[in-house]
Amino acid sequence: MSEPDKDLLRKAVARGVAGLTGTARLTVVELAADGLTTFKIHRDDNGVPRGRRWSVAWTDLTVEPNRGEDARQAVLSAADAATGEVIVVCSFPDGPEAGRALEWLQEAYAAPTFTVDVPVTTLVRDVLADDPLSQSYDLVVMRPDPVTGRLVLATTPLFPIGTRPRTRTDVTVRCEPGDEYGTAFAVVTWQGREPRLLSVRSARLPPGRYEVTAELVRPGRVTFTGLPELAPDPRGWAELVQSVPSRLPPPAGPAHLICAVEVCGADAKVAERLSRAHQVITYLSGELADLLRVSLVAYGAHSFDRSAKDRPVEVAAWQATADQALDALRVLEERGAITQGYPYHPHAAQVEDMLEAVARRLDPDGAAQVVLLTVGDRPPHPARADRSRILPCPHRHDWEVLLGHLEHLPGAAFGAICDQPAEQAHPVWRRLGARTLAHLNALDLRGLAAGLGLTAPAAGRVPFPLIDETE
Amino acid sequence: MTADPAPARPGHNIAMWGAPGSGKTTLLAALFIALTRRNDDWKIVGSDPASSDYLIEKTSALSLGKIFPEASTALERYHWTLIGPAEPPDARWSRRPRPATPPRIGISMIDAPGGLFSAGRRRPGSTPDGQADLRRRELLDNLVDSRGVVFLFDPIREFEVGDAFDHLHAPLTRLAERMLGSDDFRDGKLPHHIAVCVTKFDDPRVLETAEKRRLLSANPDDPYGFPRVSSEDARELFRELCEVSASGNADMVLNALDKFFHRDRIKFFVTSSIGFYVDPRTKSFDWHDYQNLLPEDEGEDLRIRGQVHPINVVEPMLWLGERLTAGEPRAEPSR
Repeated sequence: MSEPDKDLLRKAVARGVAGLTGTARLTVVELAADGLTTFKIHRDDNGVPRGRRWSVAWTDLTVEPNRGEDARQAVLSAADAATGEVIVVCSFPDGPEAGRALEWLQEAYAAPTFTVDVPVTTLVRDVLADDPLSQSYDLVVMRPDPVTGRLVLATTPLFPIGTRPRTRTDVTVRCEPGDEYGTAFAVVTWQGREPRLLSVRSARLPPGRYEVTAELVRPGRVTFTGLPELAPDPRGWAELVQSVPSRLPPPAGPAHLICAVEVCGADAKVAERLSRAHQVITYLSGELADLLRVSLVAYGAHSFDRSAKDRPVEVAAWQATADQALDALRVLEERGAITQGYPYHPHAAQVEDMLEAVARRLDPDGAAQVVLLTVGDRPPHPARADRSRILPCPHRHDWEVLLGHLEHLPGAAFGAICDQPAEQAHPVWRRLGARTLAHLNALDLRGLAAGLGLTAPAAGRVPFPLIDETE
Repeated sequence: MTADPAPARPGHNIAMWGAPGSGKTTLLAALFIALTRRNDDWKIVGSDPASSDYLIEKTSALSLGKIFPEASTALERYHWTLIGPAEPPDARWSRRPRPATPPRIGISMIDAPGGLFSAGRRRPGSTPDGQADLRRRELLDNLVDSRGVVFLFDPIREFEVGDAFDHLHAPLTRLAERMLGSDDFRDGKLPHHIAVCVTKFDDPRVLETAEKRRLLSANPDDPYGFPRVSSEDARELFRELCEVSASGNADMVLNALDKFFHRDRIKFFVTSSIGFYVDPRTKSFDWHDYQNLLPEDEGEDLRIRGQVHPINVVEPMLWLGERLTAGEPRAEPSR
């Protein structure tokens, strides 16, 4: 029971683990005061050493009258060391059961024997965690062909064979808007020419370049720093590569998102509409980063009572940053539904005034793609009295003319989030949501953004980081 | 509510007829406002306290509270007198003219719950409802005694419900039955004059129909420039609106009226109790913005948007009054 014995045991186990290939097994049998513990170690398909253990008490090994086997056979059976290399460790040599079992095991396997006074479990775990890589670890990337523009699924080396844990390496990647899970940082080993997925963690990352540091924590575990926190990704290899596009989606350009939110009606509905606008702005901010400018317009219902002044459309933010727009949105959220000034028209809202305010402010020669996202429920007021019985707009704004004007602006796109499902919504919402019309209660942010052309559609998403070796 | 009988009650009754919700009560309430807005001396006064109370209450509700009067739920009798401008005296019979005598047209009007008129279907063997029978009899008595009828046809209700014929046919048949032995029914026609009022002219659906059929005219003396449909064209509008009846039976209304009444005793009026909205700044009718009825919110009463400018509400009364008094023997002037 000396320190050198412990070192010798560690080296013996490490050597045995290093020698594991294919289906080979290393068996470490510990004979302790209370019983026998067996550690069975092998390498998985990625070359990661894996161990399992089981223990049997001496009392169960020596008293087995009903099975008709003697204690020796019971000990050999519990050790299960018939194949592969065996190491026997005795941590309680003074015990009669341990001593007898040691004799039987030495007779059966001629195994090297060590006597130590440290927990073998800890020692084995440390050896496995410190095992140098038996296979190289690569990061899955996509490599764009500089000539054809085609995307090629590839890997870039992270850690070669023999790398010790706690080794770090740096890699520069570029991220495009990812798929449902974001961008996947997948580590693979190689089985011949076939990659084998070791681990995958993902995150939705704003597009851009990233200086990533990969660290080999232990065999089978690689962490990445220089990125937002990655989350477990449940997909398998086949599913991961299924969505790989053949080409890069066209690069996103500057976009001007105009969120027009109906702020009259039931408090809960107004809060939900503002919340949806909040989600959309936040999501697109993550996707487009500095390319996004946001305007926020709040509109309510007209007052047709002379005692209640008509409340004009409110432009809370115009071509602001996403953060500024979100600040303005929070003010609207705190204020809630407009109820002051009863009676307001119960069946329509100032959609036409909102369109006028947008049309008046928009620069027809602006370079950015303009997207009008209307979030609400009610139809506009007509320009003149008609059979709808909705009172005409006091300002005589003609929503059809105004919307037609906006529709003809180059690059303009129209999306809507309506309280009602599309089939029940007022027909005007089909025009307001010409590109995509979503239901307030079932909003697919990614689908909405892709439908508006602000982000690449799901089929064109780049699920892995890009690596450009020409850069 | 039933008014106390007045000692000097006029002899003419004008009965109001129409389906529930066709606007009878609103029309009555609008009558006072309409007369007040006229630039002449016609006025209406209650002939008894109950009728005056009714006039005040309904008029206030319509013009001040801007809330539609409740539809009548009980049989109510009201007696009013229309008083016109003083006529110049006939100087042929006296060297010293007597003081001018304004014309007085007595109107005894019954405002009945609309359903009462159509509540006449009784299955064979069923037990008669005593209260309903009593009311129906009272109503028919009044119709028999009346020689003027205001029949309200609500085209919007007809479009949505389509029960105008249902509410005309039953009482008409019973009226004819009651008058079968009368000298007044000898020619096979009822003796009544009937003013057919096509209501809710202010509704865009009615106004647009009239516009499309080119039935609109304007009174050059009307300071607001409201569109109107003359009585000559009102019958055609009525026929046009019958085309969109929900039940498809509205055309029978016209035929039934022609069969039971003398053609020259039927006159059509296109009316609106609340009239068109007038912008207080422009003080004139605006084709872009004329709807005077605010759409109702759930669980709330209808509201009127602006001033009430009744259209063709007085005219049917005056026409009936004039026609009824014209049939009276002329009083011999005193020497």
